[in-house]
Parts: sequence; structure tokens; C-alpha cells
Amino acid sequence: MEVVDHETPSLENGKTDKEVEENANVLQFMDSMDAYLTLIHSLSSTLRRGWLELASARHSMGASRVNTVLLDHTSHPAATSLLVTQDEGKVDSGKPHFTLCKWASSSNENSLLGEKQSSQDKLHPQLRHRGSTELYEEKTSSENKASREVDDPVQKERSKSLSMFGTLVSPKLRAAQLSFEAALETLVEIANMRSEMLCAFDQVNMKLAGRKDEK
Amino acid sequence: MAGRAQIPTSNSALIAMIADEDTVTGFLMAGVGNVDLRRKTNYLIVDSKTTVKAIEDTFKDYTTREDIAIILISQYVANMIRFLVDSYNKPVTAILEIPSKDHPYDPAHDSVLSRVKYLFSAESVASGRR
Repeated sequence: MEVVDHETPSLENGKTDKEVEENANVLQFMDSMDAYLTLIHSLSSTLRRGWLELASARHSMGASRVNTVLLDHTSHPAATSLLVTQDEGKVDSGKPHFTLCKWASSSNENSLLGEKQSSQDKLHPQLRHRGSTELYEEKTSSENKASREVDDPVQKERSKSLSMFGTLVSPKLRAAQLSFEAALETLVEIANMRSEMLCAFDQVNMKLAGRKDEK
Repeated sequence: MAGRAQIPTSNSALIAMIADEDTVTGFLMAGVGNVDLRRKTNYLIVDSKTTVKAIEDTFKDYTTREDIAIILISQYVANMIRFLVDSYNKPVTAILEIPSKDHPYDPAHDSVLSRVKYLFSAESVASGRR
């Protein structure tokens, strides 16, 4: 039975660092796989909600009004697209990073800015300023005005997307649209987590292969 | 690192779909639908009349198109062309298997998880210990 001496390192520093790095790679792989499965589970429930709302809309509007026969087959670009970049974490990592650009048609660059701004605000929430209430209220109202200005073109794009089903659509159809938008956001997160998982898997695989070669 | 494939970057890449009617309709409402000048779309609606050949051809087409970054494919459809899906391993275009109304997601069939699961197999553990 192997006795581990915790007081003095049993290996030289180089090998210990190597073990630490290997453990970190394995942990990163396990974490990304766990996050991937959690996101898939979240996607499943979002999609279920979307399908249910779509079915409700079909029930209230009629099957002939919510039908793929009505889809627009004339030439038009996608209003929602992706920004694909190389992962900034490591140079030459071979890992792509996907960013969703919602409702960012060529005539709607302000909405793209608005969507990116709102996502940045979520990542870096503003600190509360106690004691400067008036300043805070002015700032909040100007932010609300800016977000409303940004939301209007986005709302127009949303309505345009639903216009293939008619001018007056069921609120359930609008709700389904929002659910599928949320599903899209989750899918982009899944795509990024997938890249992370595969990158971590490659690292672990390389270490295992290296260990086999040494033996 | 020498030999690493460069990631093709894009600022307006598309999301393609190979899925059932409701899933495609939903995502089209979210604005991902694209029809080019040749009337080629970035989606295929799979129903009972869709042949496996049609699905295979569409999958091959979408994986070779440079303007498509992500392909969403219902898992039950992916199972019909499992060999093709599993043999595709480029980082871009990313293939994401999604559940459908009648077929819930099964991690055992996911191509990405299948690729990594061998790490947890007895053989890989045993070979690491030798």
C-alpha cells in the first residue's frame, strides 16, 4: 500500500506542476460537460414552452393561419445571425466563440448596439449610488429612454417576422416567439460550451497519450 | 500552435435548421430564416415524406456552406444520418442536436458526448493505471 507523505513533496516541482495542470484540465472538462448538460436541460424546457404556446396559437388562430405554407420564400436575409470569432483566451486555441446578434438586419444597426449593450450591462451591473438619488434617478430614466428607443426597432422586427401569419396574431404566438428567442440564446451558450468541452477533452486526451508514450 | 486550423470568423453567419415543422416555425419567428437570391433556404422541414437521402444531402450542403456557423438538428433526425453526424468533427460548423416534441433529448445518442464518453470507460481508466 502506497503511503503518501504530505509534509514534503514526493515529486520534483516540475512534475507536481504537471499534475496540477492535468488536474485543472480534467476539472475544466468535467465542469464544461456538466454545464453543457444543464444547458441542454434548460433548452428542453424552453422549447417545450415554445411548442405549447405555438400549439395554443394554432388552436386560437386556426391551423391554416399558423402553417409553414405561409413562410416567406422570397429572397431575404436573416434578421438574427451569429458573430463568430476566435476565442480570445488563448492564441491559436482553435476554439470558436459564437455571439448571437438578435434582430440585427442591415437597417437596424442600432438594435444590435442595444442588444450588445444590454448584454454588457448584465455582465457588469451598475453599482448603486447611495446618497445621490437624484443623479441615479436621472441616469435610470435616461437609460430607460435609451432602452425604449432601442426596443422599438426590435419590436418592429419582431412584428415583421410574425406578419407572415397575418396582421392580428394571437398573444400566444407572440409568447412563442419570445420563447424561441430565449431558446436561441441558450443554443448559442450550448455552442460555446461545446467548444470549451471539446477543447478541454483534447487537452486531457493529449496528456493521456503522452503518459502512455512515457510508459 | 503550428498545425492548428484557423477558425473562419464571420460577422453575419447563419443558423441552419433540420427539424420538424413546429421547431422550424418557432425559430423562423425568432428571425433566423434566410433565403438567398437562388431561393436556397437555411432550413429543412422534416416530415413523414422526407427521405433520408434528402436529409443527408441537406446536411452535407449545410456543412460545406461557409455562411452557416451552427446547424440545429433534431436528435431523431440526426439518428437517421448518425454516421454522417458522428463523422463530422470540425469546430465550425457546430452541430447541435436538439430535442423535438415527440422525441426527448437522449444524452446517450449525442455525438459530442459519444466522442468524449470513452474517457469514462473501463478501458481508458485501466490503460491510464498501467
